[in-house]
Amino acid sequence: MAKKLHLKRLLFSIAALADLGQEATSTKDLSEKMKAALYIITGMFSVPTAALFVHNRQRGMLDLIVEKGYREINREGIHLSVQAEHIKSFRMNDPHAAGEFPKIVFFKQNSVIFTKLQTKIFLPFFAKGELIGAISLGRKLGGAPYRQGEKNVLKVIAQQMAITLSNAQLFRELARKAAENRRLYRNMQRIYNDTIQAFAAAIDAKDGYTKDHSYRVASYAVAIAKELGWKKKDVEGIYVAGLLHDIGKIIIATKVIKKGEKLSAVELSEIQRHPRISYDILSKIKFPWKNIDNLVRHHHERVDGKGYPDALRSGELSEGVKILALADAFDAMTTDRPYRDKMSIDEAFREVMKCCGTQFDDKITKVFFGLIRRELDGEVCDRQILHHLECNEASPVAVSGFAYQQMDGSGNT
Amino acid sequence: MSNFSLSSRSVKDVAVITPRGYINDIGAVRLEQESGQYLDNGLKKLVVDFSDVQFINTIGLSIFLSIVQNTQDHGSQLCFTNMKKDHLEIFEIAGLIGHVKVFKDENAAFTYLNGRTPDGKKTASQTTAV
Ligand SMILES: [Fe+2]
Repeated sequence: MAKKLHLKRLLFSIAALADLGQEATSTKDLSEKMKAALYIITGMFSVPTAALFVHNRQRGMLDLIVEKGYREINREGIHLSVQAEHIKSFRMNDPHAAGEFPKIVFFKQNSVIFTKLQTKIFLPFFAKGELIGAISLGRKLGGAPYRQGEKNVLKVIAQQMAITLSNAQLFRELARKAAENRRLYRNMQRIYNDTIQAFAAAIDAKDGYTKDHSYRVASYAVAIAKELGWKKKDVEGIYVAGLLHDIGKIIIATKVIKKGEKLSAVELSEIQRHPRISYDILSKIKFPWKNIDNLVRHHHERVDGKGYPDALRSGELSEGVKILALADAFDAMTTDRPYRDKMSIDEAFREVMKCCGTQFDDKITKVFFGLIRRELDGEVCDRQILHHLECNEASPVAVSGFAYQQMDGSGNT
Repeated sequence: MSNFSLSSRSVKDVAVITPRGYINDIGAVRLEQESGQYLDNGLKKLVVDFSDVQFINTIGLSIFLSIVQNTQDHGSQLCFTNMKKDHLEIFEIAGLIGHVKVFKDENAAFTYLNGRTPDGKKTASQTTAV
């Protein structure tokens, strides 16, 4: 009979350990999990009162997080002071019985709390040599002592609790770090953005272009890149390249830049240095986007190889460069310059068509006109090109029938 | 997991608590709270009816431990009724049986507590604590 009860008790302990394992891996939040764990443990040992502590390394405390069976206990006010030398005096994952308390400094220093909790067993749990937490178990119902077999089960429980708690702490720490990284990344993006915008404004001011040339070039380039199905990160890259493409002009003498036409050969070669200077400046910056320096270096190249600074031909130019070249030239055509009035929109469209295949890439030109045509037809709600053109116009953009036909895509070579 | 529910009533000075379903989840702590309220309100006699309890695990056991302890602290009496064999077994292993009176049904518990059944009929003594 006694043997049968012993077997049942063993089965009961195994079932309880299985319950504990299930709670450990449940999706409940940590305090719910710990409360369930404490109920399982107290159920196993017939202990009406117990408390669970978590090690707070910063404060050198074991903080009470869950308790059971105490009436009128203030959880906030219960902390066990635990110093490094105290931790050394603990046997890892091994229950400490109340009989040992008078011999150990930690228990003497925290005796008020242990008396309040009526602690009979103190079970510190460790993971990878670090104190993670502890459980205080009160008197068993009926006052029977804790048997050696029960103490052995408590050792297993300590290991399980240590793993559960340290995993939860690691998870929380990871979540905290991820949130911090996201915040830092957002800050970095903001700083980048502000700096780049400031540079763009400085470039445009120096050039004497109408305000916001760089911004419009960036916007047109983004619209074309999106139309071509570019990835988000690459679209961001061409936006930044658009904003900074003329940064090299900062170095060139203002009077040469503003002169604009009837330049001497010396002045012309001076002004044509700006893409290379843009490249020199930007190639020293580690951007989170690819090829910013190459995009700005080649924004005055032409597909027929007659551009500058490297006179590259179509096959040697990236799609991004071709986009930027068209966006830059189109904005130059459609805005007033110190030395000439802007073209009408119709004229600008005709000019782009005329230069398609020589200055501009066929495919990019087609895509550009395709987008404008859809904007004209009201097929897209966000008018990314026309919106900028209409900013300085009294009436909506209108194009001639000829230009409209050309924009169909079939009219382009 | 949480198909646990609970009802309770008081018959004069006796509180009858009827838990239902699985007592195996922390949600069943309501049982502990419910009995605590009766005790705090001064009722000295508590009956827990196990008729509709399907399963009790260690969490459930721990909840009953708290109820037993709380009843003792209040100097009150606690009776369990309509327990199935496996309920009795788990309480026996946990050493809880010695701390409560177990009766086959509510009438028997009332007779023990008051000398009469819940409907007021006087009965012959049948306080067969199991
Ligand atoms: Fe330029």
